[in-house]
Amino acid sequence: MAKSDDCVHILQGLLVFGNVVIGMCGIALTAECIYFVSNPHGLYPLLKVTESNGIYTAAWIGIFVGLALFALSILGIIGVIKASRTLLLVYIILMLITFAFEMASCITAAAHQDSLTPSLFLKQMLERYQNSDPANNTDNEVTKTWDELMLQNHCCGVLGPSDWQEYTSAFRRTHKDADYPWPRKCCVLDAQGLPVNLDGCKLGVPGYYNSNGCYDAISGPVNTHAWGVAWFGFAILCWTFCVLLGTMFYWSGIEY
Amino acid sequence: EELPYQPALTQTPVLEGLTTASTFVLDQPRCVFSGYDNADIWLVVALHNATSAFNNTAVPGTPETAFQNFPDHVSAYMTLNATLANYPCPKPAGDITVLRVGSETSCYQDEARPTCNGPLPGPGPYRVKFLALQGSEPVAETRWSVPITLRTAKPSNTISTADSGHSAGMIAITTILSILFAILLAGLVAML
Repeated sequence: MAKSDDCVHILQGLLVFGNVVIGMCGIALTAECIYFVSNPHGLYPLLKVTESNGIYTAAWIGIFVGLALFALSILGIIGVIKASRTLLLVYIILMLITFAFEMASCITAAAHQDSLTPSLFLKQMLERYQNSDPANNTDNEVTKTWDELMLQNHCCGVLGPSDWQEYTSAFRRTHKDADYPWPRKCCVLDAQGLPVNLDGCKLGVPGYYNSNGCYDAISGPVNTHAWGVAWFGFAILCWTFCVLLGTMFYWSGIEY
Repeated sequence: EELPYQPALTQTPVLEGLTTASTFVLDQPRCVFSGYDNADIWLVVALHNATSAFNNTAVPGTPETAFQNFPDHVSAYMTLNATLANYPCPKPAGDITVLRVGSETSCYQDEARPTCNGPLPGPGPYRVKFLALQGSEPVAETRWSVPITLRTAKPSNTISTADSGHSAGMIAITTILSILFAILLAGLVAML
C-alpha cells in the first residue's frame, strides 16, 4: 500500500508541476499575443486589405486561450491536491474545449502565413497606394502605411522600384511616368523630407534612390508573429496533451 | 560629315530608370563633334521604320519636326538643342553625363514649343541620331542608333495571387494536433 501511495503522490506531484507549467505558458501566450495585436510594426493595415487577417484572429484567440489556460491550471492544481472527482471532471472538459480553440488558432496562423506571398502584397500595393478616390478610407491607410514603411526601411515597392514600371497602378493613373517613374518616397530624402537629388532619383542613379524592395521588411515581422502564435501554441498543446492524459489516468484511479 | 559615333543607351552607371514607359536615357555625345564649335547639335528621334524617310534638311521648330505632331503626322521630331559648349571634351571622370529623352512634361501639348523634349507616346521602338546644323545647313550627323524599345506596363490584375500551396509546417501542425485531440476525446469517452 505504501508503494501505491508513493505512486499516487508522484503522479500528483507531476500533475501539479504540469499544471504550473501550463499556467505560466498561458500567461506567456497571452502576453505574446497582446504584443502582436498591438501592431508594433504598423503593418496591420496592409494585412487587413489582403484579407489574410487570420494571423490577427489567431492572436486574438490566443489571448483568451492563454487566460483560460492560466485559470484552468489553478483549478487543476486544486483538483489534484484535493483528489476531487467533480473538480477534475470539470477541469478535463474545459481543458478539452480550450485545446480545441487553441488548435484552431495554431492552424489558422500557419495557414494564413503561407498565403503571404510577394505577389499578394504587390497586387494590393499597386491597386491601393495613392488611390486618389477620396471616399476610400482604407486605401488612405494603406498609402500612409506604405509611406512610413518606405521611409523607415529605405526601401521601395515590394520587389523594387521597377514594380511601378512593370505594372499599371492607381499611382500611375494620377502621376505621369516621366515625372514619377516611382513615388517620391523611394528617393533618398534629406532632413526636410525632400529628395536629395530629384533628377538622380528619377534616373535611378545608385545612391539617390532606394533600390531594394520592402518585402523583407514586411515578411520578417509578420512571419515572426505567425510562427510565434502557431508554434508556441503547438508546443503548449503538446504539453497540455500529456498533462491531460495524466489527469484522466489519475481521475480514473480516484475512489469514489 | 557622317561621324562614326552611334548614340546608345547609357551603360555606366547602371540606371534603374534607363528606360521607362515614356522616357529613355542616352549618353551625351562628348568628344564627338569636335571642330563644329558654331553648330547647333540637335537630337532627332524617329520611329524605327522611318529613319530612311528623314531628310537632314529638315528645319527644327517647324510643324514638320514638331514633337506635338509626333507620331501621328510626322515620323520624326527634333529636340534637345545644344552646342559644343554643352558637351565639353574630355568628360570629367566621375560625372554622370546623360540626356533624358522625354523629361519635359510641361510642354508636351504646347504647340508653341515644337522642340519640346516631351514624354514619348508609346513603347516604340525608336531610333535616334544627333544632327549638327550650322544656320540651317546640316554639317555633321552621327549614325542612327539601334532600335530602342520602352517598357510596357502589364495590368496589375494579371498578378496571380493563387494559393501557393501549404507548407510542410502547416500540414504537420494540423495532422499532429488532430491526432492528439482525437486521443484525448477517446480517453474522455473511455474514462466515463
